[in-house]
Amino acid sequence: MAFFDKDFTEILGTQMFSIIGGIIAGTILAIYEDNLLIIPGMLIMIPGFLEMRNNIAGSFSSRITSGLFLHIIKPNRMKTKIIKGNIIASFLLGILVSIMLGLIAFTFNYYLMGLYYPTIIIIPLIAGIISNGIEIPLTLVSILYLFKKGHDPNNIIGPFITAVGDVVGILSLLVALLIL
Amino acid sequence: MKEYYNHLWNYEKKRLFQKHILNVTKIKRHKHHPILNKVHTKYNISKKTLFYIKEYGPHSHIIKVIIMESIGILAFACLLSSLGGLALEEIKVLFMEIMPLVIMFPTLNNMIGSYGTVISSRFSTLLHQKKVDSEFWRKGLVKMFLQMFLISMITAAMSGGLALLISDYSGHGMNLEYSIKIMMIALIDTGVLITILFLVSVIGGLILFQNEEDPNNFLIPITTSIADFGNMIILAVLMTLFF
Repeated sequence: MAFFDKDFTEILGTQMFSIIGGIIAGTILAIYEDNLLIIPGMLIMIPGFLEMRNNIAGSFSSRITSGLFLHIIKPNRMKTKIIKGNIIASFLLGILVSIMLGLIAFTFNYYLMGLYYPTIIIIPLIAGIISNGIEIPLTLVSILYLFKKGHDPNNIIGPFITAVGDVVGILSLLVALLIL
Repeated sequence: MKEYYNHLWNYEKKRLFQKHILNVTKIKRHKHHPILNKVHTKYNISKKTLFYIKEYGPHSHIIKVIIMESIGILAFACLLSSLGGLALEEIKVLFMEIMPLVIMFPTLNNMIGSYGTVISSRFSTLLHQKKVDSEFWRKGLVKMFLQMFLISMITAAMSGGLALLISDYSGHGMNLEYSIKIMMIALIDTGVLITILFLVSVIGGLILFQNEEDPNNFLIPITTSIADFGNMIILAVLMTLFF
């Protein structure tokens, strides 16, 4: 029973990859903290916002990968009912959860801090549309590419989603602020 | 003549197979139908494939299925993350002053959550494989815990180190005491949460498995939620204590 076995190196390797994405996202957050974190309720919303996109894209990738391995989804055919359904469902979930996060942050702001700031509902909604619009197609293309190349997307896509998702999430929050 | 009969036989087999698969796709999603077991036994199609066909087949409304099955747990996760975020919002001014912590924040949040997933799925797999025996309790459990603990400490130290480096490079005043405090926060936060997640996974996994439930379906959402919520609470407490 070796201590530094295959499991050890695999877990450590994938975690190191996802750390890099997190650090880049954190650095962007630190650079723009005067714009982002100064908004009331932003710290209530940001953890959930980053987490939910990883959850949605993670489940999306796992459903598509299962379909590929079961030969129900063909890697060369993207315009199928099952892929379209998954894309639309994940996108709608992203929008629904973004609204939920905004409403929770607004409620906490209003009842616990006595602040009336409705913009906090719009910010995650716009950022959710932008980030899911980028992340879901990117995840799909990556899964199909990895599968065609003979890799198991389950082993690679998780850290990739986390790393990319954090950066895209923070950047889309910044874009949402710029738009507003 | 023999070839002709063979051809007829294969054609009939194919026709019956397609008929059965079509029947599977027509089963109502939430029902366990005996035809699943029949098709599985007769055509040697894995139960996972049949389940997938039943869930996302031509007669299923894919979008509705996915949204209805996911929205509940996502709403719960949102609420829990927001409650954790509330703890940080309370000490926002202090948090924004400590630049390395702002840099580390997304990493810590995701890293601990994904350790929750790794621990839960590894222990669930061992339970399914019936590998949780006396040998596992004597040696395997300690090894698994120490492996996860060491990996988490390495990654926490790495993220702390990177955050300190970036802060120093950007001209944020650093000294030894400040750096030690940041590293201590990263290591204590991760260490405490990994221990809690491990205990929850092992105890929860055993209880769920004894009740004939699949621990994967419950442990992963539970541990990731504990990781998210706990991370922000522990960070808020440690920041108040150290700074």
